[in-house]
Amino acid sequence: MSSNALVGVYLLPTLIGFLIVSPWGSSFTSSLVDRFPSLKTARGQLLSGLQLISLAGFAVSTQTLWISSKISEGGSFCSSTSTFSCDDLLGNSELNVDPVLGLSWGLIGMAAFALLLFIVLVLKQEHNHPLSERFVSMGLLTTGIGILIIGLLVSYEFQEEKVCLYCTTAHIANIAAFVGFFRLRRLHENRDEWNK
Amino acid sequence: MKFNVIEDENAAAVGNALIKVMSLFFIGIMIIAFTANPISVGTNEGQRAPDVEGKFYNGSGWTEFDFSGYFNTSWQEGDVSGQWVVIEFMDTDCPYCQQSAEEFGQFANTFSVNNPEWNGAHVNFLASATELDIQGHDSDRAEIEKFRSDYNHNFPYIDDIDQDNMKEWGIPGTPNYFLIQPDGIIAWSSSEHKDEKVSDAIVRLVPRESA
Repeated sequence: MSSNALVGVYLLPTLIGFLIVSPWGSSFTSSLVDRFPSLKTARGQLLSGLQLISLAGFAVSTQTLWISSKISEGGSFCSSTSTFSCDDLLGNSELNVDPVLGLSWGLIGMAAFALLLFIVLVLKQEHNHPLSERFVSMGLLTTGIGILIIGLLVSYEFQEEKVCLYCTTAHIANIAAFVGFFRLRRLHENRDEWNK
Repeated sequence: MKFNVIEDENAAAVGNALIKVMSLFFIGIMIIAFTANPISVGTNEGQRAPDVEGKFYNGSGWTEFDFSGYFNTSWQEGDVSGQWVVIEFMDTDCPYCQQSAEEFGQFANTFSVNNPEWNGAHVNFLASATELDIQGHDSDRAEIEKFRSDYNHNFPYIDDIDQDNMKEWGIPGTPNYFLIQPDGIIAWSSSEHKDEKVSDAIVRLVPRESA
């Protein structure tokens, strides 16, 4: 399987999750309610979509960290002369780490999506947790900061004239999670809808 | 004795979620740890050499330097066909660089496949010429060309007058030497072996036919 085709394994659940958390999610999930009762409510629908997105985002971030590590060994994973060459970005020791602490972007992605997954799992188990409002705000803030970081990373792609599909999938997951947490926050403000 | 036990009904939700997420994170890190052996970029021995950028002069003109082109990441230890690299960070106005320039040129001729008396892997010599922030150390490309010509050096000189490469490599002073394996990993650095000459390091570390 081509390395660029493998990205579909991560992209598919991300896009399904995005669809579920989008305003059109209910029409998509209506046929699945019998099999997955948690999708009956708007809250359950958003949390399920966010769980899928967070898992896919975590997995693709782990994959990018693994690719960076393999390239540093001297190997290659998705090197290509075409625009779609993630090795040129994930293997670039200046661009594959954050400019402040020097931590790998893959590791930062893993930590961010793990935090989102933690929030989703807590809210799924106890939606009226005393810290639920703070958790939702934390998710929104984390993904909001993520969007700023995406801007920086996309500027690197323009600079290198290369596109990293694994990174792009993680970016899509972050944007999808932002949409999900934004809608979750609005739902949380409406106590009747939230407690359905 | 009475104990006041504080019960938090919501703690289970946080605890369960934390255990699940921590386990997942740990599994992810373990997969990477068992399947990859990352090598960091740096200037210590065993690290991957940082990039060297800029224009270089090879006797005919100044063109873009491609440092990565010297390396083959699939090189295996002991393979004599792989080409090693010695890079010197120097300043044309530094007295010690001037003193050692003649000897450095001789090393470049000695550890070459063109020398029939050397039966080891070919060693490419490079010089990265900077301009130290010291009074009287003003430099330019013409001075670099003259320095190269005066000492009959036939290896490339990279223009690092802006000190970009020197800063990237964390060079404390000149001259500073590095011996780099054909896979781009630093095998020896003069700052870690102050009592050993670069020529002795080459003899000690570079594989030879008879070895």
